Amino acid sequence: MMPARTLALACALAAALCAQQLKLNLDHLSAKASGSFDISLNNSMLQFAGKFLDGKDPDEAAVKKLIGGIDGIYVRSFEFKQEGVWSPADLDQIRNQMKAPDWSRIVGVKSAEDGENIEVHVCNQSGKVAGVVILVTAPKEFTVANIVGNVSLDSLADLGGHFGVPSMERDKGKKK
Amino acid sequence: MDWLEDELKQALRRKEPSPDFEARVIAAAGRRRPVLSMPPWRAAAAAVLVITGAGAGYRHHQGQIAKEQVMQAMRLTGSKLNRIQMQMKAVRP
Repeated sequence: MMPARTLALACALAAALCAQQLKLNLDHLSAKASGSFDISLNNSMLQFAGKFLDGKDPDEAAVKKLIGGIDGIYVRSFEFKQEGVWSPADLDQIRNQMKAPDWSRIVGVKSAEDGENIEVHVCNQSGKVAGVVILVTAPKEFTVANIVGNVSLDSLADLGGHFGVPSMERDKGKKK
Repeated sequence: MDWLEDELKQALRRKEPSPDFEARVIAAAGRRRPVLSMPPWRAAAAAVLVITGAGAGYRHHQGQIAKEQVMQAMRLTGSKLNRIQMQMKAVRP
């Protein structure tokens, strides 16, 4: 009976983790992109990389602190020479995976001027942030960054001041 | 110029080897090279050291690649956050 319960618990945990980690089926865009960036780092890779981060370097120290609580980073970024390469369906297949009540959009900015659309989605589980997705799209750009794990907004804001990024103003958003 | 020609002829003239030259060459060729005598455990230890060193080097290399990937991912995420902040400021100055 116990192994069955353990298995069920493991499956539930795996399902919860999968819910935070999105399936980024965007390989078809990489062939059409003029520049692309594709990084997938799971927990073990992050912990391994963490051993090589220098705590004395401010940038690396900030990243080391940040990756301590996260289970994975998955980034896909594409730049195109012409417009209309990515379709709204590409965006929808990502958005559709982020469902309420776990997921909520905390930032959504649409620029009519340059057609840029920026969204920040957060996954909350048991009152804790369990995942963050940053979506940035423009006519010639498609970027999605998925951070899985216990990412506090403080940690995200800690990125401010590093890599030349000013501190981010935290803003409580509305649920979808 | 005769003296120069004479000098050159003298310097380049054929010299016959000494009568025992052939015997000396054969003797030298037949001489056995010294073989490094190393106990098997030393050879094994050396092999283990080399393999361990190579493994550590490879691990370090992989670690540096992983670290660079994390830093790149964070740089990109940071730059997007920066853009979000700028957009938000533009919307709500």
